[in-house]
Amino acid sequence: MAEVILKDVCKTYGSLHVVKDVSLHIQDREFLVLVGPSGCGKSTTLRMVAGLEGISTGTIQIGSTVVNDLPPKDRDIAMVFQNYALYQHMTVYDNLAFGLRNRKVSEDKIKQEVMRATEILGLGPLLGRKPQQLSGGQQQRVALGRCIVRHPQVFLFDEPLSNLDAKLRAQMRVELKRLRERVETTSIYVTHDQVEAMTLGDRVVVMKDGCIQQVGTPLDIYNRPKNRFVASFIGAPAMNFLPVDIVQKGDFFHAEAQDFSIRLPPQRAAIFARTNRRPVTLGVRPEQVCFGPCPAGHETAFSAPVEVTEQLGAEMVIGVRAGDTLMMASRIAPEAPIAVHDHVPLWLDPRGLHFFDRESEEAIN
Amino acid sequence: MSLSLAVSSTGPRAQAGGFLGLLGVAGRRVFFALAVVAILLIFIGPVAILLLTSVRPPSGVYYIWRGWEFTLDNFAEVLAQPVVLHSMWNSFVLSSIATVASLGVTVGSGYMLSRFTGPIQRSWFGIIYVFRTVPYISWVLPLYLVTTNLGIYDTYLGLLLPHVAVHVCFFSWIMKGFFDSISPSMEHAALIDGCTRWGAFRRVALPSAMPGIAALAILSWLWTWNEFLFGLILTAQRTPVITVTMAQFVTETGTEWHLMSATAVLAMLPALLITIFGQKYVVRGLRM
Ligand SMILES: Nc1ncnc2c1ncn2[C@@H]1O[C@H](COP(=O)(O)OP(=O)(O)OP(=O)(O)O)[C@@H](O)[C@H]1O
Ligand SMILES: [Mg+2]
Repeated sequence: MAEVILKDVCKTYGSLHVVKDVSLHIQDREFLVLVGPSGCGKSTTLRMVAGLEGISTGTIQIGSTVVNDLPPKDRDIAMVFQNYALYQHMTVYDNLAFGLRNRKVSEDKIKQEVMRATEILGLGPLLGRKPQQLSGGQQQRVALGRCIVRHPQVFLFDEPLSNLDAKLRAQMRVELKRLRERVETTSIYVTHDQVEAMTLGDRVVVMKDGCIQQVGTPLDIYNRPKNRFVASFIGAPAMNFLPVDIVQKGDFFHAEAQDFSIRLPPQRAAIFARTNRRPVTLGVRPEQVCFGPCPAGHETAFSAPVEVTEQLGAEMVIGVRAGDTLMMASRIAPEAPIAVHDHVPLWLDPRGLHFFDRESEEAIN
Repeated sequence: MSLSLAVSSTGPRAQAGGFLGLLGVAGRRVFFALAVVAILLIFIGPVAILLLTSVRPPSGVYYIWRGWEFTLDNFAEVLAQPVVLHSMWNSFVLSSIATVASLGVTVGSGYMLSRFTGPIQRSWFGIIYVFRTVPYISWVLPLYLVTTNLGIYDTYLGLLLPHVAVHVCFFSWIMKGFFDSISPSMEHAALIDGCTRWGAFRRVALPSAMPGIAALAILSWLWTWNEFLFGLILTAQRTPVITVTMAQFVTETGTEWHLMSATAVLAMLPALLITIFGQKYVVRGLRM
């Protein structure tokens, strides 16, 4: 068990700069999730921690040791790969025992450790099989077992669930969460799935093009995205973005677009009173676009024509025309009397209003 | 409804068209069966004729059918010539040593080509590429000069070296393909599990490539066993090999087909045994 500290870590392939100045301080026993779109450098970052990839500049520290020049075997880490990477020619038992045998642990102790992992992960009936004889979910469980038998200082996960089908992925996610409670170890988990990031992480790091965009708890990132990229990446269905003009009318500020106008709550409008009015984009999550008459005290009501409806059983999702964008609204009662082309009354939850500078795309607070 | 169904089910078939389209289902089956038989005949025919000739008296050689007159005298006559057994032994030793000697290099070079990129790898790649593209017939005369100058003409060593070179150049590619099909993350897992780079190769990559290596060993062995040109140019009386000995039944007074066939059948036996017992590995290896 140990903390992991990345200081100004960069990775270049020739002239290609794939990881740029990443600095992170991962606490002892923390579960940190790196999330971002494909090609943003999350695997590369993880592989630098593992020692599978050289570090161009910067330092990586595990516990109190700088590990830049240590080979992977001396870093005391364990890693789960996207394609499981089980040793095809060995039985499940030997797969689990491999790392311990390399460390000259006695066979008795190995047996004890393997049995512990077997019990935690429910691998009992599989011990004598070869990896080809296992399903994807079982293989991934063996890969997890291979990590926990060794009691390493750090677990590294590189998209461990992305080769599984949707149902199994949800199941394994829950299992991972349970495993976390039983085996408390500092972990770095890479995924491009924001649901995994939200549900598993103590803290989440959002990356884009090799740069860290934001670090924070899942709720922090959901409620206070630092820029438009983070806001659109986290949350499903994705946040609505609507370019608006901020207009002062008497004592109030309004956000206006074509056929769309809402009055901003005074506390939010304060921002615009003191900044000079650069063009802004209004962001609001579909779950914070509400159907019905606006409750008293909120002034954010508007009405708009419905263009699409999606009946999901538990809720209805509709898309309405606002300005020149299709604004999605979710969490609408499934039996609500809404049909395409209807003009429906809507209001925005004032706590869910986000404003982004249209040029820099940074959040305005 | 039923009309449209009928149209849609005959439509594509009629379009499949041409000769096969005219045949109908049964006709097509028969056609494919005939094609398979024809292909089999092309491959089995020569072997069958060889087998027949080897058990016919010399007088029966030029006839497709000449009664039920069979004999094993040809084999007795061939085996009575010491050079035949001697050259079979030589070929066996050569094939085995060349296979063992080249396999180490081939596996190493295939692994390097599959996993690493760099100036050394690129040059090595270039060298074997060139040697592979140049017809190997063109190496033979220079090799004759080289072996005579080194004093290893007509010795095991003088034959072994060219064979090993050919194995390495021709089979490194196949080996590279085997390693390409093994995910590198398995070795990465081994590195993290406490192996050195070498340990990851030896304990994880190598065992996983075993079916491929077995297939390659068989291919290498058969290649040398069947090789003719090096044997012809680089050996004389001291180190005869079976393929060349076989050809020496072509004499000035005519070709002794019955003896040549008997020798060829004898030479086929080890190759056949190896192929039968190794088939499992070859198929598994080539499927990797
Ligand atoms: N060996 C390499 N040589 C050159 N470029 C590389 C190399 N490995 C990775 N890259 C580049 O580095 C970038 C980041 O790769 P990385 O694998 O870290 O992405 P990722 O965030 O894990 O994406 P994914 O979700 O697709 O796995 C990519 O643009 C990739 O093309
Ligand atoms: Mg990746």
